[in-house]
Amino acid sequence: MDNPEKKKILIVEDDRALQAALEETLEQEGFETVGAFDGEEGTQKAKDEKPDLILLDIILPKKNGYEVLADLKNGEEQDIPVMIMTNLEEIDNIQKALDLGAKTFMIKSDFSLKDIVEKIKEYFSKK
Amino acid sequence: MFSKFLSGINFIARCRKYGLGLWECPNFLFIVMGVVTIVTMVGTYFLSRQFSDEGITIMSVTVEAVLIVTIGSFVISGVEKVAEANILKTEFVSIISHQLCTPLSAIKWSMEVLETEREADCKFSEKQKMFLGNIKKSNEQMLKMVTDLLEVARIDQGRAIFEDKELDLSNLVEESVAGLMRSAKEKNVQISLRIEPGLSRVCVDERKIKVVLDNLIGNAVKYSKNGGKVEVGLKEENRRIVFSVQDWGVGIPKFQHSRVFEKFFRSRNDSRYRTDGVGIGLYLAKAILKHCGGEVWFDSEAEKGSTFYFRIPVPAAKNA
Repeated sequence: MDNPEKKKILIVEDDRALQAALEETLEQEGFETVGAFDGEEGTQKAKDEKPDLILLDIILPKKNGYEVLADLKNGEEQDIPVMIMTNLEEIDNIQKALDLGAKTFMIKSDFSLKDIVEKIKEYFSKK
Repeated sequence: MFSKFLSGINFIARCRKYGLGLWECPNFLFIVMGVVTIVTMVGTYFLSRQFSDEGITIMSVTVEAVLIVTIGSFVISGVEKVAEANILKTEFVSIISHQLCTPLSAIKWSMEVLETEREADCKFSEKQKMFLGNIKKSNEQMLKMVTDLLEVARIDQGRAIFEDKELDLSNLVEESVAGLMRSAKEKNVQISLRIEPGLSRVCVDERKIKVVLDNLIGNAVKYSKNGGKVEVGLKEENRRIVFSVQDWGVGIPKFQHSRVFEKFFRSRNDSRYRTDGVGIGLYLAKAILKHCGGEVWFDSEAEKGSTFYFRIPVPAAKNA
């Protein structure tokens, strides 16, 4: 964990308020964040910015989360870990996201920001 | 004609998706009616032909077909209306709840950011802090209501996902009581806990059983009078974990006892004393406990209070 480099996290989320809250908290916790507001932008930024982790929403404009996952899987970005953030209603299809290579998922209404930070830290400490 | 047939097949698929049985799909019933009509027409034709001449046979077959189709269509149009209404209702609940989830989560997370700011440097006045606390509490209430509604919709449609694992209920009960301490304090209600030590573990979905506990203990606090008390107990009896929560609050009038676990039911006493709640907590609790092989029941008397119980079987010990 004593990596001096700041870990870069890409947040793909179309709701501006959620995006802002995540960004603020993760930056306070010492991460660098990059935001994307739709699926196409998400794929592009994953390619350009080479983040250490991607937080990905499922229901997104232009391209949905599954399409983003499929795009990443075929490119050089396939090794970047992806955590899905979704709503309770999408949970039926979550297996599809896990099959496409997502590491884990979180239900937005169940998780507090603290839980998310914990999950991210836990992930990096395991690596 | 062909496209109409296709849309009919489509409608059957839609009905099935929304948890309606095949016999509740109007289009399926139309197909059945068609088959029944043709079979009876053919049957009647051959039967009638043995006793009467061609003219009378054809006439009776026609009358029979007209009768079946008329009565059938009448019944099916009723079924169709019910099916449409059911689908609309389910879609409505899902869409509304889903659309509410994102903004409610946004409020929740934004409040969390504000809270960390608040701790970092005390820029907020006491009054502002109080109002922030109010926003947070209302937000939590709404989120709970929406997630409960979504859960009910999922259970009704048979789409609920249970992630069962073995766990000790005592921790969950303690957690639930701790979470309700604030609302108890506001009403000056004392919650006492009696948990038997060394209880066996049960196999349940942690998140869902937490919903049951929150609802049952939450109700006890909600319906207690100011300054009242609530007793929560957990013990093991005949290889079953038995939970109980007793209050000395408003109680439920006897004539409404049979309806307590119905969806959207709210006791007359309830609506007289308070206005919040949608009446799905106990319906949800019953459905969740049923899945765990458990059951829920209660004793209650108006103006004297209620005790709600549930029990969950302890899974048979595995051979080591």
